Amino acid sequence: MSAPRPADRPSTPRWRGISFAERMGTVDFRVGARAHITVDAEVCRSCTTRACVTACPANLFTPTADGGILFNYEECFECGTCYMVCNHEGALTWTYPDGGHGVVFHHG
Amino acid sequence: MAEVTEVDAVVVGAGPAGSAAALALARAGRSVVLLERGPFPGSKNVYGGVVYGRVLDGIVPRWWEEVPVERWVVRRSTMLVTPTQSLSVDYRSAAWGEAPYNGMTTLRCHFDAWLAAKATDAGARLVTSTVATGLVRDGTGRVVGVRTDRAGAEVHAPVVIACDGVNSFLAKEAGLLPPAAASHHTLGVKEVLDLPAGAINERFGVQDHEGVDVEILGCTRDIPGGGFLYTNADTVSIGVVVALPQLAASGVRPEELVADLRDHPGIAPLLRGASLREYAAHLIPEGGYDTMPELVSDGLLIAGDAGAMTLAAGLWLEGVNFAIGSGDAAGRAAAGALAAGDCSAAGLASYRADLEGQFVLADHKRLRKAPALVLSERVQQRYPGLLCDLAEGMFTVTNPTPKPGGLRLTRQVAAGHGVRLRQLAGDTLRGLRIFG
Amino acid sequence: MTAPTGPLVAVCLRVTDLRPEVDRLTGAVRRDPLGVGLTPADAAALELGLRLAETWSARVVALTAGPSSVDPVLREVLALGVAVVRVPDGGEDDGHGYTAELAGDEGGLARTLAAALAPFGPPDLVLCGDRSADRGTGALPAYLAHELGAAQALGLVSLSAGDPAAGRHLVGERRLDAGWRERLRIPLPAVCSVEAAGVRLRRAPLTGVLDAADRPVPVNRSLPVAAATGPGAGSGGAAVHLGGSRPFTPRPRVLPPPAGDDPRRRLLALTGALAAHDPPTVVAPADAAGAADVLLAFLARHGYLPEADGDAR
Repeated sequence: MSAPRPADRPSTPRWRGISFAERMGTVDFRVGARAHITVDAEVCRSCTTRACVTACPANLFTPTADGGILFNYEECFECGTCYMVCNHEGALTWTYPDGGHGVVFHHG
Repeated sequence: MAEVTEVDAVVVGAGPAGSAAALALARAGRSVVLLERGPFPGSKNVYGGVVYGRVLDGIVPRWWEEVPVERWVVRRSTMLVTPTQSLSVDYRSAAWGEAPYNGMTTLRCHFDAWLAAKATDAGARLVTSTVATGLVRDGTGRVVGVRTDRAGAEVHAPVVIACDGVNSFLAKEAGLLPPAAASHHTLGVKEVLDLPAGAINERFGVQDHEGVDVEILGCTRDIPGGGFLYTNADTVSIGVVVALPQLAASGVRPEELVADLRDHPGIAPLLRGASLREYAAHLIPEGGYDTMPELVSDGLLIAGDAGAMTLAAGLWLEGVNFAIGSGDAAGRAAAGALAAGDCSAAGLASYRADLEGQFVLADHKRLRKAPALVLSERVQQRYPGLLCDLAEGMFTVTNPTPKPGGLRLTRQVAAGHGVRLRQLAGDTLRGLRIFG
Repeated sequence: MTAPTGPLVAVCLRVTDLRPEVDRLTGAVRRDPLGVGLTPADAAALELGLRLAETWSARVVALTAGPSSVDPVLREVLALGVAVVRVPDGGEDDGHGYTAELAGDEGGLARTLAAALAPFGPPDLVLCGDRSADRGTGALPAYLAHELGAAQALGLVSLSAGDPAAGRHLVGERRLDAGWRERLRIPLPAVCSVEAAGVRLRRAPLTGVLDAADRPVPVNRSLPVAAATGPGAGSGGAAVHLGGSRPFTPRPRVLPPPAGDDPRRRLLALTGALAAHDPPTVVAPADAAGAADVLLAFLARHGYLPEADGDAR
């Protein structure tokens, strides 16, 4: 099977001249070796609400053409929005990154 | 075999609650380990922007002479907006700009580190970059310590104080918090924008270390929530706070809402030329008194956001002071229980009583119905537009048509917004009952 | 665990803001004390040092030059059971002396570090990260090798102890162009700098961290601080060095896809091969402000500047 491709990714227009990548580029992420959140794309295939795709403030959840969800943990705020809004048992495993890693806010 | 460290108390999370708890315990002569998962205290924390320092009076005398402050809030504005209108109530006090002050803007990495340093100066041992991954229990199920992610090492203590924030996995593991409750949480999304101090002073009408706090209602489209704008020394914090379930269902991205707010005709001129310095997001427990977990169990106390202590009651939006108040009370209760040699739920029960007797739970209890009113459909969707249109009707000069009468105008505008006068009166009364 | 004698592995750590802001015009570096940490390359150097020391039963010492604001990071190193020495920053503890602008005087810094190392005896190996995040040039290891009279191998992606049967030496690998790698046999004593490749720094045990929390970080104040020979010594940003900064790259301009059915025509439209071009313009405005206006107008006309936003970046 070929790798899932991103499809109908929510548009991220350049709000006031800032692309989403630039926006996330302002944040200090000390990326750990371990993915602290994992997504079970099989469970996500049966999901119709896709709440995580809308609500994740870091826009880390991307629907794929084969109906799954592609997720990258590196630029995560560790806020908890995704598991709070997810209504599918077992779709997400959520832990904190290893100590000292993950997001570091300098202007929180 | 896990390596074990024995102390009198473990405090998880070096935010305002955890540091206040560790400080109280250290001052009582107890050995305390304060665990923080970030590389420094405050590194994982985000807030709207104002700390109300009165709670510090009893903890750090003359704290205002040393606290890392951005600006002292002397102006507080409440702003109702529609996409094209805005109506502000603006209060300004010279007294707030002088000791002992009222509110201040500060950045969490500075403020939290300052409070944590108070705890370490008093003898608490701060361990950063360390996650508390779970509770350690004895044969009877009582909490006797925490596991950490440092090679499985454990810290054992008769009492554990969980100040591990809104997602508190320790409170969840103890069965005190539900695994997920989206409806009790809001998402705060914040942009910190660079703006020279001189431009802030001119545009916001302040000088030196004076700052402004603006709360905004009606800026979150169909999603219940609100916005905020705070001045720091040479940055401003702007953002929105929105209800999670409705955000998820809306199809609107959170950063779009902040962009809306920045582009609002009443706000855009204040921020002209400002560039993004840091984007941030954090969950807020906004359910209020009725959604608070049990705060005490055998060997375990919960304080701060972990205990849903954030007060989000419309006119009042406070969190850090409640965290400090609850953390301090938890630390004192734990010290008392250690001295009495009983760290069971019964031995720690003075914590809850202490909180009920002071502002922390008294305010929450009195304002318990406020979150529902503030997030209700009429307050969110209808009243901002209604009041803005009322102001527009009053102040638009329509010569040669004569000016409309106040009551007729009110009835007309209310009807235009699908609100009956009876509902308006009812909500006013409800508001008076909650806030009065 | 650390024998008073025996082989010595030294690791030079540059503890500084991991995300410094470099002014694109002047090259001035703005550092946030909260952002301090070990770069992945420095962390890799420390981890490799610990591994080699285990192989050789060697002592490990970590050296750094900097203000006291870096002590939290050094405590984490102490917690690993490594001896640590900090050389204080020139003058005021939190001022940025010679360590602020590395490019200013790396030779002086190398002399200072070599002197700080002297009490521990001659090192068999000195490890460094390949370069620091705040405009480091990566030249310090070479100066160190010169000071210590050691062999040098820079920019390694792997480093391990060679077969002891062939005499004590190291084997390292280095990237070359086009995906090639060269393998080096490195005699001792040596100074090696490594890239952040392949290894992650181990985490200190909790007992080590608690132990280190109560200990002050050893500071060597007896050195000829500031090694006031170089141009950057204690100058706090007087000299402007642009060596390490990258040029500004304009954002890509989005072109509409060319219309037409004929691939050749589309290609011509895309490349502009047969289109008329504006001839190069030579402008000679009278003053700098005029020249800036002309340049800005040119960039705006060609889509490199956001329109209407004006000063909103």
